[in-house]
Formats: sequence, structure tokens, C-alpha cells
Amino acid sequence: MNYNWNWSIFFEPSPEGVGTYTDMLLSGLVWTIATALASWAIAFCLGSAIGVMRTLPSKAANAVGTAYVELFRNIPLLVQMFLWYFVVPELLPEKLGSAIKQLPNAPFYTAVVCLGLFTAARVAEQVRAGILALPRGQRMAATALGLTVAQSYRHVLLPNAYRIILPPLTSEFLNNLKNTSVALTIGLLELTARARAMQEFSFQVFEAFTAATVLYIAINLVVIVLATWLERSVAVPGTR
Amino acid sequence: MFSNFDFGVIASSLPYLFGQGMVFTVTLTALAAAMGVVFGTLIAMMRLSAIPGVTHLAKGYVELMRSLPLVLVIFWFYFLVPYIGAWLTGSPTPIQVGAFSSALITFTLFEAAFFSEIMRAGIQSIPKGQTAAAQALGMNYWQTMATVVLPQAFRNMLPLLLTQTIVLFQDTSLVYVLSLTDFLGAASKVAQRDGRLVEMYLFAAVVYFAVCFTASFLVRRLHSRVAIIR
Amino acid sequence: MTSTPMPAPGGTATVVTGSEALEDEGLQKGPLVTPHAATATGAPMIAIDGISKWYGSFQVLTNCTTQVAKGEVVVVCGPSGSGKSTLIKCVNALEPFQSGQVTVDGTRVKDKATNLPKLRSRVGMVFQHFELFPHLSIIANLTLAQRKVLGRGSEDAGKRGRDLLARVGLSAHADKFPGQLSGGQQQRVAIARALAMNPVVMLFDEPTSALDPEMVGEVLDVMVELARDGMTMMVVTHEMGFARKVADRVIFMDKGEIVEDAGKDDFFGKPRSERAQHFLSKILQH
Repeated sequence: MNYNWNWSIFFEPSPEGVGTYTDMLLSGLVWTIATALASWAIAFCLGSAIGVMRTLPSKAANAVGTAYVELFRNIPLLVQMFLWYFVVPELLPEKLGSAIKQLPNAPFYTAVVCLGLFTAARVAEQVRAGILALPRGQRMAATALGLTVAQSYRHVLLPNAYRIILPPLTSEFLNNLKNTSVALTIGLLELTARARAMQEFSFQVFEAFTAATVLYIAINLVVIVLATWLERSVAVPGTR
Repeated sequence: MFSNFDFGVIASSLPYLFGQGMVFTVTLTALAAAMGVVFGTLIAMMRLSAIPGVTHLAKGYVELMRSLPLVLVIFWFYFLVPYIGAWLTGSPTPIQVGAFSSALITFTLFEAAFFSEIMRAGIQSIPKGQTAAAQALGMNYWQTMATVVLPQAFRNMLPLLLTQTIVLFQDTSLVYVLSLTDFLGAASKVAQRDGRLVEMYLFAAVVYFAVCFTASFLVRRLHSRVAIIR
Repeated sequence: MTSTPMPAPGGTATVVTGSEALEDEGLQKGPLVTPHAATATGAPMIAIDGISKWYGSFQVLTNCTTQVAKGEVVVVCGPSGSGKSTLIKCVNALEPFQSGQVTVDGTRVKDKATNLPKLRSRVGMVFQHFELFPHLSIIANLTLAQRKVLGRGSEDAGKRGRDLLARVGLSAHADKFPGQLSGGQQQRVAIARALAMNPVVMLFDEPTSALDPEMVGEVLDVMVELARDGMTMMVVTHEMGFARKVADRVIFMDKGEIVEDAGKDDFFGKPRSERAQHFLSKILQH
């Protein structure tokens, strides 16, 4: 096998003019993290709302929640990415559409919205499962004390449900983080895109991908450590 | 907003979209799922084996695949497979394996990690008494696995395996990054050739939705039937 | 289920073991109920008027009618599946019913104009499985609804909570979490939580049937005390000892119907219906 390893490539200047290949990968890492966090904020809030809707007695709320989840789960993420980037601006009123297309960092905003709405469907499923896993009597006890439906969710059902679903939510957070790489197809310069660019410029394929791999594993570990800490700090005394 | 919507471009490209694109997607999904289940089962058995090195190897593999984005894994294998081929055959230069084979290897190995987690749960759900009973009848490890444990585990896990296959079906669209002509790739090529992005991407979304929604509906029905039997 | 021997009058006979004995003060003397401004005199506190309920085509309640006067203690018993739990859950509309009416302290339960959360806050309820909120400390369990529903300040709510906790003998546990208490202690907290809302009525849905036998007494002690303080109570229970001791009336239900509704002495002395006789003979034969 005649592959020329060259690990010092990371210290060579990148063809972009500023900084080394290392800087290039790190800027990709920053975009990956920024996209993951911003889209998670949308996914968590919207997903919680939809998950709650699917546990309400109202048939209409249920139907809306179910429709949302089915729609966003049954279309590949890449197709959704293209829909938001290429199709939605065309369907909007012309002025608004072209304003969106000319936004600086349009791929970033598009990726955030797309991933946020996509992951919201998955968060919704977890939130729903968490609420349904609570004993039926909890809702009754809250109601019997005179709490309104909103108060029951806010003070009783959700605090318990979130504790139950913390591990699967961590997985969804990591999935969302990995999914940011799909946005390279619409031009987001995230970590995988930067590794690919480095490979194209320098021909050092395996160094570039190894570096990206190590960085992804590192973020995964950081997230897992943080999630473990969070789990421990919100654990209720007297429960397993 | 749909005033200049051109259905003609969809109609005229149907043979290409389905005859070439969808056939590619379905073939890739089916082959990768079948091979992924086989590899996944082996990895699951490795993880549940009592041999420390083997257990850790399997665990490390699964954890690695689960922490990497599929897009990166696709790139990895696209460049790595030719070198592995050269190493296996002793060839001095990388062997060109073709994009389809490369994609098939990628999805098989990537999905195997996810299938193995499902299989592991399935194998662990079989009561220990079943293994004991089989061994008491004089069966060895492989006989026990093949005739007693795995058939039951597969049955328990069938809905989850099928759901994961639907995910795989959606994931195959990512071969777009290798410019392959799967269903989405075909739609994208027509879209760019004719400047009809809105029509083609909306149509692709509708087709994916119809296929996946129907498939997951059927899986749910199967699940409730299996649940009643057991 | 056998009837549990009743503790000595005064209700301080709670037996605790181990380290808990130091912290569990048992039931304290003093009224559990703060006297209310007189409500409409003469009218019953709870009037259940011909209610029927179906789950789909299955009828769970058939034309049930009864009343509970102010200060009265009514025990509801009957075989499992007889509809007794469903009946008391209709009183605070936790279970909807299709026909009939329930009136609590002059307020109609099945009425679009009724503010249900407000009505429910005046009706205390104790559940079979306690249903304390596991993520909240004991004192927070006692103050949550006081603050959110009654709008009391944290200080007032906390004071009321601590007072009641002292009355049920669990002051030392205020900052613990439900998972750290025994079943009996949790149920006493649940009673205190309901009382913290200054209810005019207390509903008990099999309050002792999820408890280990040695913890039944401590919960019944609190309930006896409550009855003696003049609380209006509707209690679904199989504890016939409790019924004998403090009930004014006993309602016997079977297959969704009220079969017998009689004064305590009449019920235990000479139940009229064969079904009630059969039930009593089974439950009392041990």
C-alpha cells in the first residue's frame, strides 16, 4: 500500500489564505456546535409542546401533534434540507423569498430551522413517552388539588417526565449534532465539510478524516459527561 | 404561488426517477439491510460473549459508528475501501470498487452497529432458562444460538429491525454526497438540468413520505399482531 | 383484607420501629381541621343525584343517589369493580358522568359555569397510591397547590404546611422527598397536603389498601382524628373497624348500584340485602 502519510499537514497553511489546516477544521467545529445548539433550542421547545399536545385529552391537539410527527419523521433529512433551502424561498412572496436567499449565512439559518423542526418530532416522541410513563394518579392528584391543566403540566407532569427521558434526550441531542453534517449539502462549512475540503486541497484524505473523527468523538464524550452530571444533579433523593 | 408549477417535468422524468433512481435506492436498502442484520447479529454475539477482548472490540466498533455522522462515514469508506481492497489482494495500487459497492459496504457496516444494538436487546430478552434447556439437551453454543435463541430473538425484534430498515431507506439518500443516482440523486439531476427544483424536490418528498408512512403503518400493525401472539 | 384492630382512643398508638422512631413523632394532639365559616345550613354538603356513567357501552354507575351532611362520615364499601372509586371521583369531577348531578356545598359539579379547579381545591382527596409529587420535597408537596391555586404567599403556605406536618407527626421530614418515606408516612403527608387547602370535604379512595399491614394503623389514626374534629368525609375502604368506629353511615355498592345506604348500626346489625350480607360475611370472617 503506498499512501503517503503526512501528519504535519495540520500545521501547513490552508489554501484559504488565513491560518493553518488546523484552524480550518476548528472553524468547522465551531459551526457544527453553533448549529447543533441553535437547532436544539428549537427542537426542545417545539418538541416539548408537540409532545404535550399528544397527551392532552383534546382530539384536535392530538391530531395536530401526530400529523407533525408523522410528517417530519417520514421524509429523509436531506430532502427536508433541500426543501427549506431551495423550495421554501420560492414558495414565499417574492420579496421575502429573495431576502431570505440573500441573507448572510443563509445555509446556517436554513440548517438551524430544518434540524430544529426535524429533531422536534423526535423530541416530541420522547416527551410523550415520558408523560405516558407517569402513573395516571399523578395527573389526577394534581387535578384534585385544583391545579389547572397548564399548572399540572408545568409543576407536576413535565418535571417528572423530563427526568425520566433524560437519557434518550441525550441520544437525540447527539443525533442532532451528527445530523448537522447533512447541512454540508447546502453549503454549511461545518466539520465534515471542512475535513472534505482539506482532503480535496491537500490530498491527505486519512489525516483529514481522522482529525474530524477524533473531534466528533471528543464532542460526544463532552456531551455524555455533561449529561451524566446533569442527570446526577437533578436526580430526586429517594429514587433509583 | 403554484401558478407556474410544471407537472410535466415530473411526468416525463418518471421512468428515470423510478426505473433508475428508486431501483438503486431499494436495491441498496434491501442488500444493506440483509447484510447489516447478519453482521449486526455477529457483533451482538461478540458483545454478549464472555471473551473480554472480543466484547471490547465489538463495543468499541458500535460506539465509534454511533458517534460519527453518517456523511463522514460515507466519505471514510469511499476513500478507504480501495486501499483495503489493495491490501487484501496485495495490489500495489488502490483498487477501484465502484460507487455502488462502496455505498453498499458503507451502509452495511454502519447499519450493522445499529442492528447489533437491537439484536443484543433481543438476545438478552430471551430467558436464561431457554439456553439452559437447550444445553441440557446436549446442544453446543452454535446449535443453541441458531435453533433456539436467535429465532425467538428475531421474532421479538422484527418490528424494531423493520423500523430501522425504514430509517436506512431514508438514510440512503445521503449517497447524494457521492453524486450517485439514487431516487433523490435522480430527482436532483432532473431538477438541475431543467431548473425545476421546486417541483422535483417536492415530488421527492411526497414519494418518500408515501413509502415511509405506509411502511411504518404496516410495521405498527405487525407489531400489534406480534404483541398479541406473545 | 381483615379489619385492623383500632388503636386506643386518642389516636397516639402509632408503632414505629428502627431509626424512624426518633423522627416520627406520631399523631399530635390538636384539631386537624380549621373551623370554616358556616356554609349554607341545612343543605347537604354533598348531594349525589341519580348519576349514571358508561365506559362505551359498559355501565359503571347506575342511577346512584345519596347525600352526605355537613360533618358526616360516610364509608363506601363493596366488592372490587363495584364502582365505589368511580363514584367518589365523580364528586370532584375527576371522572365525568353522563347523566345526573352532583352538588358540593351548593355548587353544581356538572355545569359549564362551574370553575372546576376552584371547586376541586375545596374538596380534599387522598388516593390509594398516595400520589405525592416525587420530584418535590415534602414541604413543597404541601405548598404547591396553596400557592398556585389559592394564591397564598410562600410564607403563609409554608407555615400552614409545617403546622399540618406537625399534626400528622412528620415535622422532621419536611425537607425529605417522598421516595425517602415509608408508605404510611407518605399517606399521612398526602392527607396533610389535602388539608392544607382548607377543604370543606375530604374524599378517601382506598387510602390504606396499598399499605403494608403494619402501616395501616398510623393512617387510620389520622383519619379517626379528622372525623372527630368534625370533617365531612366520604371514605372508600374495606376497613370495617374504621367504619364501626367513626362512620355515621355505610353505603354498600355492587355492580355500579347503591344497594344499601344505612346508618352504621343498621348496616352492621342487620343488612337488608343478601348481597351486603354475603359481602360482610366474607370480609368479616377472618
